[in-house]
Amino acid sequence: MNPGSAAQLRAITFLRARLFINSLRSVRHKFNLVSRIIGAVLVVAASLGGGFLVAMTCWGFTKAGRVEFVSLVCWSIFLFWQLFPIMASAFNQNLDASDLLRFPLNYRTYFVVRLLYGALDIPTALGLSWSAGVFLGVLAGSVDLGFWALLSIGIFVAFNILLARAVYVWIERWLLRRRSREIMGILFFLAVIGFQLVGPLLSRYGRAASRTASHLPPFLLGVQQWFPPGLVGLTLAQANHHWYALAGSSLAVMAVFTVAAFGLLHLRLRAQYRGENPSEGERRHEQTSPASVNRGWRIPAVAAVITAVYEKEIRYFSRSGPLLFTLIMPLVVVLVLWGGQKGFLTRQAGYALPVGAAYCLLLLTNIVYNSFGADAGGFQFFLTSPVPFRQIAAAKNLAQLTVLGLDLSILWIGICLVYEPPKFPAIALTFAWYLFAIPLNLALGNLLSIYTPKRIDYATFGRQRPSESTILISLLVQMGSVALGAAAIAVARMRSNIWIATVSFLFLALPTVTAYFVLLWRLDRIVMRRREVLAAELCRA
Amino acid sequence: MRFSKAGLPSPEPEPRPRLCYIRNSVDAILTTGLTRRFGEFTAVEDVNLHVAPGQFFGFLGPNGAGKSTTIKMLTGLLAATAGSMQILGLDLSTNLVEVKRQIGVVPEGMALFGRLTGSEFLNFAGRMYGLDRDTAAQRAAELLDFMELASQPKKLVTDYSHGMQKKLAMAAAVIHGPKVLFLDEPFEGVDAVASGTLKAMLQRMTARGVTIFLTSHVLEIVERLCTHVGIINKGRLVAQGPLDELRSGVIAGTEAAHGPMSLEEFFLQTVGGSRNAASELSWLG
Repeated sequence: MNPGSAAQLRAITFLRARLFINSLRSVRHKFNLVSRIIGAVLVVAASLGGGFLVAMTCWGFTKAGRVEFVSLVCWSIFLFWQLFPIMASAFNQNLDASDLLRFPLNYRTYFVVRLLYGALDIPTALGLSWSAGVFLGVLAGSVDLGFWALLSIGIFVAFNILLARAVYVWIERWLLRRRSREIMGILFFLAVIGFQLVGPLLSRYGRAASRTASHLPPFLLGVQQWFPPGLVGLTLAQANHHWYALAGSSLAVMAVFTVAAFGLLHLRLRAQYRGENPSEGERRHEQTSPASVNRGWRIPAVAAVITAVYEKEIRYFSRSGPLLFTLIMPLVVVLVLWGGQKGFLTRQAGYALPVGAAYCLLLLTNIVYNSFGADAGGFQFFLTSPVPFRQIAAAKNLAQLTVLGLDLSILWIGICLVYEPPKFPAIALTFAWYLFAIPLNLALGNLLSIYTPKRIDYATFGRQRPSESTILISLLVQMGSVALGAAAIAVARMRSNIWIATVSFLFLALPTVTAYFVLLWRLDRIVMRRREVLAAELCRA
Repeated sequence: MRFSKAGLPSPEPEPRPRLCYIRNSVDAILTTGLTRRFGEFTAVEDVNLHVAPGQFFGFLGPNGAGKSTTIKMLTGLLAATAGSMQILGLDLSTNLVEVKRQIGVVPEGMALFGRLTGSEFLNFAGRMYGLDRDTAAQRAAELLDFMELASQPKKLVTDYSHGMQKKLAMAAAVIHGPKVLFLDEPFEGVDAVASGTLKAMLQRMTARGVTIFLTSHVLEIVERLCTHVGIINKGRLVAQGPLDELRSGVIAGTEAAHGPMSLEEFFLQTVGGSRNAASELSWLG
């Protein structure tokens, strides 16, 4: 590498450090530093603890003469190393290569930067320490295998680093398009929900599943040996049997895989270096006829401006993959409750509606407590328009209630299918609690939306989190209202009269409904006082 | 108000209407002692603006001079620390909602809702300014055609180019037929063709009595469009008046010996800039 390239690499390292240090000027980022330190401690613990466990396992396999089983450990490391960055990248709008390419970097420097830029991340750190654990475990089990372990694990590590970067830059190309990012996010969320259902489904169908698993086709075990994680075990097993020529050929196959990963990475980075920018390659659907614009919605007895904001909110919600996903969550709750055979809630099917309804309200926390977050720059439009903020907030609340209503309808259908239609006392109890809890949440939500706003993106997964203080306060409110509900139900059950809880909620609803309307009426004054902070937080690019 | 291309003035330079500055009529924009401080820093200090109805007023100044702060205060986006503001005779501190009804704004950040389509956004904007559903839809369709934004009807605003977003912001600002239009850098990032379309529309609006208050870094645009100019430097209004009089030096009392100056010359003379600063770069040779 020539001195110019080395200086450029130093400059990029300096830039990264400066960006990090400068970010610490804000209080929010200082808090983030604390969470990063905690995260780093966890990563170190996972590295050392995981490395130790891996070493012990490999030592056990080697000592028992089943060194080929090291492949199982390598497959686990491989899957984590490759899949974790893919999942994480679903959240992020990635680095635009053109940020670097406007500088006079030669290709070799660019390649090194892209290889290192992100290679020192959590999966790499964990993958490296766990791989070291494999090596140390095998070495401790048999010193004779030390040389072969060093070579095979070394190539395995190089392969993983190159492949992870190659997969990342190829996915990055795909994710440069907004729609692709959204699809990726939905797939990720499906996977998360799938994992949630594993427990309940196993508890129902566990025995049948284990019978199926025992009939796994044996050829799969053979096939895995021809991929790098399997080849590590195969190389070690061959070396253990002193079949050094075969072990050498296994290493050669691993090297071929590594070169292929390098080639994949090179192919993509070379295209980037030559100036390809797929984000600009969106297909155009030109329309030549004059524009026709549909008339806006009309809701009887609702003011036109409230309807306009309501329509805008519903359109936003309908284009938000993450929000649409919350509509599925009530069904997941029903299935989780149904799956846990011995749970209290499954024996008390009458409580499925109130529990599910409380969960539905919980799902709306992010949008209720940061209701201007997704408007971003559009918030300025609200400020310059002649519409009072109380009307804007009322329209937003109406849209949030619509989503809640939809969630509740899906929950209702789920309960009817899995259990039986909810009984009248459960329905009355649920709606009485809602009458208390909804105005409370909306009132505080409107207030926090103005006092602790945070710009968010409805469309991208992982970009809906409100500010840390909003999360804390909303969590306390939610816990408080649910605890109050649970306490009232407990008292009612002790007295064997569920109506006691229902009536209590109706009484509690009086102050919360009043507080909601009083606060709504005062909203304009609060917004005018806070407009500069709001605009600065929401409208900055 | 209709925005058909056929009805636009010819692109040939036409004589700029000499609008009279009548002090006894109600000013479209009137500020007295307008001041804004951010902690210790004074961004705008004692600004007294008089903009008569129908004027095309260019508000100029170097970077950080206080242009955007002033326009934000005039449109209700920012509170003033001291002084008063009147738009069309209405005091902003007591009639903010009524003032907002009368004005259109293209702020610095464009104020767009990224996850609506262009037509949805314009329709929404019209209804927020009190237009009925039919009128809002009709005007939105006309503006989309006029601004050449109708070709990709399903495209979300967030996917628009910067120039397209500027045009959309402009369309939203005029959909309700405002009497005063505030434009913060409206031509930034807009291509020459679209820029021509926008300029023609703005000229037509001023001819119909609409007052336009525009900030721009591009002096050629101001020189071509504006009838009156105000220059702000380090938060203070240092010059204000009809463009021709400012260039000829009548207002400053330093009448140019060799005919009227260009706006650029006048601007540099007023804010104290120098064209030869580059000669101070030692490495440039």
